[in-house]
Amino acid sequence: MFSLLNIIGLSFGLAGFMFIATYVFDELSYDRFHTQADRIVRLNAHIHMGESKLDMARTSDMMGPILRDEYTEVEDFTRLYVSSGAKLIKNGDRWIKEAHLAHADSSFFRLFSYQTLHGNLHHALTEPNTVVLTRSAAERYFNSTDIVGRTLETNDAENTVYKITAVIEDMPGNSHFNYDFLFAMDNASYENWGALLSHNFTTYILLKNATDQSLLETHLEEYVHKHCLPAAKQFMDVASMEEFRTQGNLFYYDITPIKDIHLRSNLMGELQPNGSLQYVYIFSAISLFILLIACVNFVNLSTARSASRAKDVGVHKLLGSSRSGVAGQFLTESFLLSFGGIILAIVIVVLTLPLFNELSGKAFEINDLINVRSLPLIGLLTLFVGLVAGYYPAAFLSAFNPLQVIKSRSVVTSGKSFFRSSLVVFQFAISITLIVGTFIITTQLQYIQHKKIGYERENILLVSDYHVLGNQTKAFRDDILNLPGVKIGTVSGYLPVSSSSRNDNPYSKETVMSAHNSVSMQTWYVDEQYLPTFDLELTVGRNFSAARLADSTSVILNETAVKHFDFGSEKDAIGKKIHFQLGDNMKSYEVIGVVKDFNFESLRDPVTPLGFFLGNHPVEAAFKIETADLPALLAHIENSWNKFAPAYAFSYRFMDEAFDSMYRAERRMSRLSLTFAALATGIACLGLFGLAAFMAEQRRKEIGVRKVLGSSVVGIVIMLCRDFVKLVLIALLIAVPIAWWGMSEWLEDFTYRIEISWWIFALTGIISIVIALLTVSTQAVRAARANPIDSLRNE
Amino acid sequence: MIKLEHIFKWYNIGGTRSFVLKDINLEIEQGDFISIMGPSGSGKSTLLNVIGLLDEPNEGHYYFMGEDVLALKSKKRTALFQSHMGYVFQSYHLIDELTVYENIETPLIYKNLSGKERKAIVGDMLDRFGIVGKKDLFPAQLSGGQQQIVGIARALAASPKLLLADEPTGNLNSKQGEEIMALFKQLNEEGMTIIQVTHSEKNAEYGKRIINLLDGQVK
Ligand SMILES: Nc1ncnc2c1ncn2[C@@H]1O[C@H](COP(=O)(O)OP(=O)(O)OP(=O)(O)O)[C@@H](O)[C@H]1O
Ligand SMILES: [Mg+2]
Repeated sequence: MFSLLNIIGLSFGLAGFMFIATYVFDELSYDRFHTQADRIVRLNAHIHMGESKLDMARTSDMMGPILRDEYTEVEDFTRLYVSSGAKLIKNGDRWIKEAHLAHADSSFFRLFSYQTLHGNLHHALTEPNTVVLTRSAAERYFNSTDIVGRTLETNDAENTVYKITAVIEDMPGNSHFNYDFLFAMDNASYENWGALLSHNFTTYILLKNATDQSLLETHLEEYVHKHCLPAAKQFMDVASMEEFRTQGNLFYYDITPIKDIHLRSNLMGELQPNGSLQYVYIFSAISLFILLIACVNFVNLSTARSASRAKDVGVHKLLGSSRSGVAGQFLTESFLLSFGGIILAIVIVVLTLPLFNELSGKAFEINDLINVRSLPLIGLLTLFVGLVAGYYPAAFLSAFNPLQVIKSRSVVTSGKSFFRSSLVVFQFAISITLIVGTFIITTQLQYIQHKKIGYERENILLVSDYHVLGNQTKAFRDDILNLPGVKIGTVSGYLPVSSSSRNDNPYSKETVMSAHNSVSMQTWYVDEQYLPTFDLELTVGRNFSAARLADSTSVILNETAVKHFDFGSEKDAIGKKIHFQLGDNMKSYEVIGVVKDFNFESLRDPVTPLGFFLGNHPVEAAFKIETADLPALLAHIENSWNKFAPAYAFSYRFMDEAFDSMYRAERRMSRLSLTFAALATGIACLGLFGLAAFMAEQRRKEIGVRKVLGSSVVGIVIMLCRDFVKLVLIALLIAVPIAWWGMSEWLEDFTYRIEISWWIFALTGIISIVIALLTVSTQAVRAARANPIDSLRNE
Repeated sequence: MIKLEHIFKWYNIGGTRSFVLKDINLEIEQGDFISIMGPSGSGKSTLLNVIGLLDEPNEGHYYFMGEDVLALKSKKRTALFQSHMGYVFQSYHLIDELTVYENIETPLIYKNLSGKERKAIVGDMLDRFGIVGKKDLFPAQLSGGQQQIVGIARALAASPKLLLADEPTGNLNSKQGEEIMALFKQLNEEGMTIIQVTHSEKNAEYGKRIINLLDGQVK
């Protein structure tokens, strides 16, 4: 019975540990597979002007070449251009949307290490109209990887045809970018080549020596003075960097070593959402704690078991068995148990791997967890756990004075049980912390789900790839609007979820722009149906009107923009002008309305200035629908789509799904913490159960005596449970400040967040006490109901 | 007060019945002082346990103050006996985690006496048995004889009507033994019914009646 509890507890703990350890090692391994990883850094730009702060992992197209030419520590550079977004690629007679692609310099393969399957990577992207595919992309389009020399047709500019020059192995998952197609840089649809202040390229530098990083950073400062400042003077009112800075602005570049990108970088324009060092720390701590809890259990249960064997040990020793002999026996048993635990843990890992992948969002396979590298570690872990867990009872029992054990009525004095009690307190402190964490994450998610974000997100259907309709966008929209069940619709790629288009530009109140008066504002091109479709509320002014020609120079601001422009009240803003410098041209817009602020980014971030402009941006269309038969309506819409764009797949999503996907990381966190809270609590309960059984055993005689002296069964149960409740309360006292601090840190990430309220702690306290009582009471009741004569029989 | 009729007690050992008590018939009046004697293993402790209802006989009837206790619900039975009985164990059975003082106090707590009353009674007991100086010690810090005295003090603290004592003087020197016996005699004269198990002829003489057990039978 004890052995079984022991093995089960240990194996779940070990399985949890193995999972999280694999996850953590994977997070730490990002981008280390590049043989030159130590020497590769990425350039970042930081431009803070007035209210707008841009920290981005982007540079101009010029920066890489200039640095290479001017500074000797720069051995090479390569750039990625991803701003053109997804492409449609022709497969047979269908166009397929491909999002995992980039335009890359031919030097890409000089910096980064990938395995070639076919072709020569040295010349792969040197010429225009060339493309490199990965194995899985090649197999998707050609059912073969031996395709060098064949061609791909895309919807670029004039339906560009690219020649396939190489096929590489799929990019490893532990990389901060992951592409299926790399197109030649010459084909990037970029207009501002040579513009030093346009930041649209991801630039990597290969240093001569890994130690040259600080040298490069000083040169980056020089670069700003020498190249960027003259360029800025052309259209802005700045005399020198000093003046720019004293006005409270910043403009500088820095670097991120490529190995740090995944965990330490979170800038604008990251190539994919990065991980977070904070989560790695949290998970490392959790995995160690779970392992500790499992070991603690092992110790506790082993001691409990061995205590009942103390008398045997005493007799054995009296009969001449040596101290090391006794200790050896306990250690052997402990090793056997921990070995059993590992075997069971591996079985659990194999069985629950799909579950863990779903929880963590990774795609681990069995041999990622159990392989030639991890097996020795697992072996060591077995020895370690066996030793740690076996040591205490072995040392403790073998050191007994045998006579004392045989004679004495009590085996373990209260001093020793203090040790075990602290172990239980420790276990419960951890599980209480995890339970509180789970509660707070869940409550925050609830809050996000139900917070009034200021626009309608239910029953809104988004039709993607709208641009393929060409000049038929309006016709298609009107066709859809005629369907019963479709209320209203708007065409625009600028949607209030962070996965859609964004367009940030500087505007000013005065006609001469300076660092003072410029407001960096989202510029969204929408049609006149946009506000009603999303139920956006105008506080003053009016919506665009299709009938008024002048509305092409009108703008509708959100409340935050009004504040940033310092227009005074919203009413005062109506009729005011804002200006935008485009090259030598000055464009001016009149404010005709103000919308109430709404959260168009994740609730992590505050609302920033936003202006709606009347314009054409046919990237997506949003339709407000109201129907009892959604599948039928979708079929109708698809039919219509196939009429207008027969070669293109109909693709759609729902606004609320798009909204939810902004909080995928948080939901994953919530599920993970729930899982591990349950695991930790479960294991802690196993330990508590063992300890309760042990205590009941140890106090058997006392219970018998008390019953003879007149105690009721209930009295005994209360007496036994009281001690455990005390332990849980102490654990609660320890866990509350830790959980409070940890979760406050986590909530810091959200501009819009819940208050941590006392009821979460109270509820957790009650839950853990109830769990502890349920665990202990079975043992307590059994002990209390035992016939006293059985425990008081004369010895 | 106590009436035992055809009491049998046996254990099944290897499929055969091994009798510990065989057809015990016994009547004990209020105010009696009985000494049970017999060789080791003859069933003395078992008989005492049956009387104290710590143990149930396999067969027979047991009337306590006219009530058929074996027919009572176990809760009621314990309540009935606990309010009337004090028990001195052959191997003391003190609670290791409690001091001498607390050990003596325990039955009084279960009787729901107030703190003040308890203090007075425990003080009286410590005094009477000359163990005031030991009141803060734990059982492990006492000699066997001292532990036995604490066990007796604890049994008497609740001033029971019936005292069951299993070799109460087994670990005491003859002078201490005599003192305890004198105390028992005095308590008996004051009205307490006492049943004691003893190996000592001399101590047995303090009783009004001696019952000899041999192989589970009254001789
Ligand atoms: N649980 C048990 N299973 C089997 N036999 C038992 C059990 N308990 C007691 N006995 C037997 O019952 C018999 C009577 O035991 P008891 O303790 O009543 O003897 P006793 O007369 O008090 O002896 P002593 O003078 O040594 O205390 C013994 O032979 C003992 O072996
Ligand atoms: Mg006996």
